[in-house]
Amino acid sequence: MTMKKFVTMLFASTLLFSIACGKGKEASKQDQGEDDETQTTTTAATASNAPAAAPAAAPVSADAATLTGLVKFEGAAPKMNTIQMSADPYCQSQHGGAPATEEDAVVGPAGELANVFVYIKDIKGNFPTPSTAVTIEQKGCQYHPHVNAVMVGQPLAIKNDDATLHNIHAMPTANSQFNEGQPIQGMVSTKKLDKVEMTPFKIKCDVHGWMKSYMAVMPHPFFAVSQTNGTFTISNLPPGQYTVVAWHEKYGQQEQRVTVGAKESKALSFTFKG
Amino acid sequence: MKPQEPIPHNYSIRRLNWIFALSSLGLLVVTGLIVGYDYIRGWKWFQLEFMRMQRERIVQEVQLASSAENKQLLANLDEQTRRNSLELAAHRDQYLSAQKAFDAMEGDHYRADQDYRFAKANLDAQRYIAEVSIVQHRSDAAQQQTEYERQTKHLADLQVRLQEVTRQRDAAKANVDQWLKKIKDAEDKRKELTASVDLLDKQLNLVDMDRFSTNWILSQPMLDFVNPVIKIDQVVLNDLSIDMNYMNVPRVDRCQTCHRAIDTPGWESKTEAARLSQELQQKLDAYDIPQEKRKETEGRIAELKRIQDAPSDILNPWRTHPKLDLFVGSASVHPLLEYGCTVCHRGQDRATEFGRAGHTPASPRMEHRWAERTMLTGGFFPLPRDFEKRNWGYEENEFVETPMYPRHYYEAGCIKCHSGQMSVDRGDDITKATQTVELYGCYACHKINNWRFSDLRKPGPDLGGIAEKTTPEWAFRWISEPHDFRSTTRMPSFFYQRNMVDPSVVPPQERAHNIKLQEAEIHAIVSYLFDKSTHRSWSPPGAGDAARGKQIVGSVGCLGCHVDTEQVKDEKTGRIRLAKREDFPLERNYGFNFTGVGTKTNAAWIYNWIKNPKAYYTDAPMPSLRLTDQEASDVTAYLLTMQKPGFMNTPIRPPDAQAVHDLAKGYLINTLSDRDAELRLRSMSGHDQLVYLGHRSIEKYGCYSCHNIKGFEGLKPVGTELTVEGSKALHLFDFGFMNDQQWKNEDGATEHVIHTVPSWVYNKLRNPRIYDDRRTKVYNDKLKMPNFHLTPEEARRIAMVVVGLTKEKVAENRMAGLDARTRFIEEGRKRVSQHNCRACHVVDGRGRAIASTIADANFFPPDLSPEGARAQSPFLFNFLKDPTVMKIRPWVSVRMPTFHFSDEETNTLVTFFAQEGQRSQFDTARNVNPTAQNVMIGKQVFTMLRCGQCHVTTPVQNPENPPVPNTAETASLAPNLTLARLRLRHDWISDWIRRPNEMIPGTRMPANFPRDAATGGFQSPLAMAIDTPQFAQYKATLLPLFKGDEKELKRTMSDAVALTDYLRDYIWSIGIIQMRTASPDGQAPSMAMPQPSLPPVAAPAAKSTRNQRGAPAAGSGPGR
Repeated sequence: MTMKKFVTMLFASTLLFSIACGKGKEASKQDQGEDDETQTTTTAATASNAPAAAPAAAPVSADAATLTGLVKFEGAAPKMNTIQMSADPYCQSQHGGAPATEEDAVVGPAGELANVFVYIKDIKGNFPTPSTAVTIEQKGCQYHPHVNAVMVGQPLAIKNDDATLHNIHAMPTANSQFNEGQPIQGMVSTKKLDKVEMTPFKIKCDVHGWMKSYMAVMPHPFFAVSQTNGTFTISNLPPGQYTVVAWHEKYGQQEQRVTVGAKESKALSFTFKG
Repeated sequence: MKPQEPIPHNYSIRRLNWIFALSSLGLLVVTGLIVGYDYIRGWKWFQLEFMRMQRERIVQEVQLASSAENKQLLANLDEQTRRNSLELAAHRDQYLSAQKAFDAMEGDHYRADQDYRFAKANLDAQRYIAEVSIVQHRSDAAQQQTEYERQTKHLADLQVRLQEVTRQRDAAKANVDQWLKKIKDAEDKRKELTASVDLLDKQLNLVDMDRFSTNWILSQPMLDFVNPVIKIDQVVLNDLSIDMNYMNVPRVDRCQTCHRAIDTPGWESKTEAARLSQELQQKLDAYDIPQEKRKETEGRIAELKRIQDAPSDILNPWRTHPKLDLFVGSASVHPLLEYGCTVCHRGQDRATEFGRAGHTPASPRMEHRWAERTMLTGGFFPLPRDFEKRNWGYEENEFVETPMYPRHYYEAGCIKCHSGQMSVDRGDDITKATQTVELYGCYACHKINNWRFSDLRKPGPDLGGIAEKTTPEWAFRWISEPHDFRSTTRMPSFFYQRNMVDPSVVPPQERAHNIKLQEAEIHAIVSYLFDKSTHRSWSPPGAGDAARGKQIVGSVGCLGCHVDTEQVKDEKTGRIRLAKREDFPLERNYGFNFTGVGTKTNAAWIYNWIKNPKAYYTDAPMPSLRLTDQEASDVTAYLLTMQKPGFMNTPIRPPDAQAVHDLAKGYLINTLSDRDAELRLRSMSGHDQLVYLGHRSIEKYGCYSCHNIKGFEGLKPVGTELTVEGSKALHLFDFGFMNDQQWKNEDGATEHVIHTVPSWVYNKLRNPRIYDDRRTKVYNDKLKMPNFHLTPEEARRIAMVVVGLTKEKVAENRMAGLDARTRFIEEGRKRVSQHNCRACHVVDGRGRAIASTIADANFFPPDLSPEGARAQSPFLFNFLKDPTVMKIRPWVSVRMPTFHFSDEETNTLVTFFAQEGQRSQFDTARNVNPTAQNVMIGKQVFTMLRCGQCHVTTPVQNPENPPVPNTAETASLAPNLTLARLRLRHDWISDWIRRPNEMIPGTRMPANFPRDAATGGFQSPLAMAIDTPQFAQYKATLLPLFKGDEKELKRTMSDAVALTDYLRDYIWSIGIIQMRTASPDGQAPSMAMPQPSLPPVAAPAAKSTRNQRGAPAAGSGPGR
């Protein structure tokens, strides 16, 4: 009896192999079917998304919306210290009688906060990179502008207008660092940053400890820096729902959700606290 | 003839026939069973299942390849071919005549070629004849020579002809091809499109297991010996042998028999695929992948996405190895064919069944899941069990000597080959683990005979002068529970542990008794230590200012090794809590936490200790910061404010006389009779009894293993040797009653002991007394390993090292880092770790723990990554021996301390740096003298590039005290260049100027000759600038140096290499060439010790008076 059981088991197991093979074939057939289905659904999805994605390809569309805004500072405006430039007589001479002040918090009379970098965090699509360079000037041993951004791959020109040695020491986290000396007045170094870094990184001069500038590398052109009157404008924005981020070197960053319709012009306001 | 009479038998033939028939039938069945038993193996099923999965995938790919889109493309191509053929037919005549012309040319070419070859052969023969006739002075010599010349000319003619014909033939061919080209192009494209499908079809054939297919037939029982498709897959590894007692046999790894896809990408688990694709996607999004690789990466991401979207996950054992780039992959450093699997993972190499292979569960849950049985529980035919739930019918196998390392201990396998290295490249876990073992000093009590853990200092401080440092009351409380005093201490708790006092495991009566005994032991140890201590008198400090002291502690570098607070903000809860060790980097746990130092010790001791730690005990790891008397007094005043209020208020009961008596007698009766022991005790005073018991207790607990204690010199360490602990058999570990038990640790975590060696070690480390639970033992037999209060992570790491220490040997060529150069480097790395250099410096890309306490990166201690290539060995030697010989950045407040290295140790370090920088230690370049012309050019370049804006070039009269200019803020200052000639390697200077950021990423030194993004060459800013009016004056000065050759001048100005060499020559020319050498004992000259009762410190070598306070910011640091 037991022997019979063994023999049956032996046959059963041999059979099992063959069945397993057969089953495998069926299973694979079934899978194919399912796969086809998912494929069609994805194409359908892209088709329905198509109108929304279209403006991305052509940045300036008739529907483009505009975001404007005002950045305010709440609380007692911080004192802007004068910069002690005596270490380099050249720098001091450039400012004549009125010594330059620090730029880490530039607050206007009514609390307008300048140098705030405002950008859209979550917009997808391919946006053409301008071939014109963004320029940072080193003038009177200070950076102009203090905060700025380039698009990925856009040339960044850094110019030394001073008759003294500057070195541009960029300290990005994703892009590779660079640190170049500019001993000659009028010298221009052109750089390309090829990785996205939406939170601005620092550029400093090791010769003049007070010199600082901030630079972001954006995948899209929807960003702005607040002016001395605290205003900023982001234009040509495709309609949609976005997260807008405002970043300040000293006061950190804030986020707001915003929905803009076609041709809509929307005003935002950010308030930083000291 | 009459028929033969039947032979009479005593048995029935009929019956015999039956018996024969039945037994042969039985034999047949048994044979069948044998064949079946031999045939049906668990691993075969894994292979079949994998083939099924492969088939499924290939079929999918075939479908993708033959999608509608591709079909359309193919149809188009066919159409094109057809049209081309039609066109060809239309111009048939032209095509035919072209073809005909080509055929004719082929003939011509053949003939011309043949003519040429024959003529050449003839010429060779003629050359021989001509030569022979000249040598033998034959009469026809001249004639033969003429003939030879004629033939030479003939051959040249033929060659020209051949070339002409060849040209014509090629032209004819091109003419024909022009007609055929279109058709051929279409066909090529077609082939390209169908190639992938053809390949897939071939692959499909390989894994085809349809009934009556070739593969199927070849795998049938009795037929599978011919050319089996399903077979054991193995790697034979001669170098990585297995010790079978008295003989070594090669390792034969059969793991891939079931782990089919271990070295093939594309079979990752869903979670693994998600991790990998996310990693790749991030890199892709951040443009971190070169343009030419983007497409490939996208393909890989798509593959990983398919795995994630697949209806079912790929289960083990069919998964890909998660670190293919490091292990198993053919391009990795540990390819499968050379290293196999079991050399790292362990396990039974030849086994092909789940249980026998030595699979080890990582947790009790995993063990239960593996062991659960569903169908055939017996295992006579090892069929696949419920693989979806991964029930493998696992059974713990006591006879596997090398069970696999469970999941959390994988990197234990690295130790076998990498134990000669301080850190394992990309083996962060094992590197951290060995560091943890070093930090806690496990090697002090447990001998580990292994390069990594030998030759290290005792982890605890010297106790020979404890009476000078603290009081018996403090010592008593400290020994009772060190963590009550200092939450981050590495001193473990010996007393009042679980097996002595925990109410949940010790009955109340025994507990009270144990407490008495423990108190008596602590009293005894303290009595012994203070009884044997020296009582030197130390000079008291002057009046100190605590605020100034705090500032000094924060600025000179104390905080690289020490922490000055016990309160930290918890990152999760945001609340202030008591600090734990893991709140600070490893390097800052090197020295003790300052909190409570004022409670522990006294002003005179602190003052003298910081002035000269070696005076207290010679092997003190603390270096001298060369503080002046006033500075030391200030620091002392500050440290005295670091109190631990309340600690000294806990009551101390006097020792219980009976307990002391009983314990002491317990030791005495080992050698004496009961009566003699009693008599001996009675002859001793109470104090003597305590001291005697103290001696015995120190011996029992092994305090001397970590501390120097008088009377215990040269004793063997107290703990079990761990050299081959990982090879110890499971049954030799005493699990007590804890096997498969849960228990609650003091930190609230619930731990579970399972029956594996790693689990035993881990639980032992979490609470060393745990295996005494529920056991009845006399007081002195109870477990006595102290409690280090290790976190689960620390315990896991240390357990990993312990189980990795095995007796398994590998061939020398497989050991990592055995060559001479690496040995020098590793010895140096060991010193670097021992002296905690990484507290301040970056060495091998790691370190600089002090950075978190320094606000401005300009004042960081230097990065030593390029030190070997940078520093001259004589300078480095002198500087390491005595950092006061040169102050490179006098404005930096962090000081390079004086370590009092021996010559041998200093040489080890100098060799380490030189070897690591791929340099020889000594060279002649330091004696080079640049030409005056080079120096003059260099000077102009130096001025044009404004190097002097940061670098000082004022000649240094005294290298120990270089002037600090006041022209710029100190943050922007750079080293005085007149020190360069003594300090820097000649060739390094120009190299550094060219590529500072490549040598030290993030350095403040700017690249003056940035690389061209396209060519990678250096660009010179002077190439253009030299012609500008700004630079007219320089040009005028330079021109005469180039003999008025403006072209040469401009060429030089654009040559970065030449310019940096000129700069180097200039820097070299202004360098000073004298520096004081370090005194023989490594003492700074002004460091004569003021201690009156000490043996006199070696007399200062030179310049015995140096006013430290005269220096602007009395500090020193090695160069950038």
